[in-house]
Amino acid sequence: MSEAAIASEAMLSHGQALKVRSLWSDAFHKMVRNRLSVIGIVITALLLFAAIFGPAIAPYSYTRQDLLRPAELPSTDHWLGTDELGRDLFTRILYGARTAVLVAVFSTILSVLLGLIIGTVAGYAGKWADALILRLTDIIMSIPSLLLAAMIAATLKQPIIAWARTVYAQTHWAIFANTTWLDLVIVFGGLSFVSWPAYCRLIRGQILSLREKEYIEAARAVGVPGRLIALRYLLPNGLGPVVVHMTFSLGSAMVLESSLSFLGIGVMPPQASWGNMIQSNIGSWSYRPWLVAVPAVTLAFVTLGINFLGDGLNDALNPRSSKAI
Amino acid sequence: MAKYLVGRLATAMPTLLAVLFITFTLTFISPYDPVRQMLANAPVQNMDTAENIARVRKQYGLDRPFLVQFADYLVKLSQGYMGISINGQRDVWKMISNTLPVSAQLGLAAAILTAILGIPLGSLAALRQNSWVDYTIISTTLVLRSLPVYVLAPLMLVLLVLVLHVMKVPRGWDGILSWKAILPVCLMMLGPLPVVIRQTRQGVLEVLAMDYVRTARSKGLSTRTIIVRHVLRNALIPVVTSFGFITEGLIVSTVFVDTIFAIPGYGSVAGAAFSSFDYPVIMGVTLVGSVMVVATNIIVDLVYPLLDPRVTLA
Repeated sequence: MSEAAIASEAMLSHGQALKVRSLWSDAFHKMVRNRLSVIGIVITALLLFAAIFGPAIAPYSYTRQDLLRPAELPSTDHWLGTDELGRDLFTRILYGARTAVLVAVFSTILSVLLGLIIGTVAGYAGKWADALILRLTDIIMSIPSLLLAAMIAATLKQPIIAWARTVYAQTHWAIFANTTWLDLVIVFGGLSFVSWPAYCRLIRGQILSLREKEYIEAARAVGVPGRLIALRYLLPNGLGPVVVHMTFSLGSAMVLESSLSFLGIGVMPPQASWGNMIQSNIGSWSYRPWLVAVPAVTLAFVTLGINFLGDGLNDALNPRSSKAI
Repeated sequence: MAKYLVGRLATAMPTLLAVLFITFTLTFISPYDPVRQMLANAPVQNMDTAENIARVRKQYGLDRPFLVQFADYLVKLSQGYMGISINGQRDVWKMISNTLPVSAQLGLAAAILTAILGIPLGSLAALRQNSWVDYTIISTTLVLRSLPVYVLAPLMLVLLVLVLHVMKVPRGWDGILSWKAILPVCLMMLGPLPVVIRQTRQGVLEVLAMDYVRTARSKGLSTRTIIVRHVLRNALIPVVTSFGFITEGLIVSTVFVDTIFAIPGYGSVAGAAFSSFDYPVIMGVTLVGSVMVVATNIIVDLVYPLLDPRVTLA
């Protein structure tokens, strides 16, 4: 039965119009009514704006040093002051947003893909493949994720950079001359490796539980083709938790990237990362507090905003959520 | 019980072995060559010739196949030998084990404070569900959950030392009872606290809807008795399952807390190893961290059936 048919039947039985709303428009309405998730949307939008248009709005170059004016307080020339090397702090923060978004988006995409493929295999294959995959996720999840990501980044960094140098020496391709983008690739790898197991389990669980649902069985019984079942029933019902988890993991990927950079194995200076900005100024917090406070507050706001968004999405996409309209 | 314990340990062993395998493989493919390093640092000049390196490598068995070396490593590990650090040539296990007591004190203090604060706050939020008290507690936990230690630590330092002048600069370690430990413990607590508050709130809400709570109420028991005797006892059981997660949080936060406050703990060894690419130490701290998480999970699995009779030891 089509949605319109259901609606008209409902109208007949109740004698009044029943507005049919899809899952997504329903979720959107719930999101907009939740004050915290609106704050989350605004912060996330600002972050994306800074990441995409940062270089265009940045007043200076992110590596330009004004050695006569290091560690200055905010002024009209430098809106957030200058850092310990005389670079414009506002510019560095904007470029840091770019790093954070790049890492968060790419490592999340990579881990969702890995989790989706491996989780689907586990859910459908079952038996020993399922047991093996579950055990593998168990193992990876029992290593503290920061330590594992840090270990992967620390191990792979020098071999990969050495490899890039040899490639450059042989081919003279400009892309291999500068190794700063390789820092990002290594961070993507480390973060994806530690975060795919959570997706894998989530997706496997979704597959196993949805397969048994009556409405899937009913759809199959009335002869809905498999492709349509997947598109109309499995996907909307299974996607919610994955989208929520993705939102949260965007936030935690940013925090992890900053943590790695703080430990000195993530994104290396002169590339801007909020983590390495905090790290390089934490020693001077008592006499140049703003240099550490600015990146710290930025990181705090951004992760907070993303978590608000995640919480809002969680309430909005969960039909059993108590905060029904 | 004993049979269950043996079974649980038997399933934990392959996990630990696999963790060992992963960390060993990563160290194996790392660019660090202990022999070259050793000969380069030797008191006699120009010892690091290719010939010497090959000879010493053979002498230490480092020219053997990967799996043989892995087996050899396992044997040595079972004897408590984790290798020698690159910086300072110290015994890795001694470096870690010397610092563990300090971190254990900090971690335990943080865990106890988390329980003392988290359980009442979580219960309060549940009992005043959907009131401003609930919203305040829940949104505060949401804020705390988002903030990494190295973000909050400098902000707290600026606030407490520079603005409010309530403390001097806390640096170093004078025992857990010293004022210097207050800020580190509070910061370490911030990771696990939101988890405990949320779990307690969820648990209390679920138990409050149970029939036996209504029965207790209709018997005329005081709210206090109902909460302490009937609700909390059952509501807190699920909190136990988050212990593994809490352990991991404490391990990770100690890396930052130790680095920022110059505390000679497990985290300071880990932080220094990561920033100087000291592979044997990196491997050691990762291993010790994973063993702690796996051990906590085993303890949770053992304790859980005792707390909740519905879960059987299967």
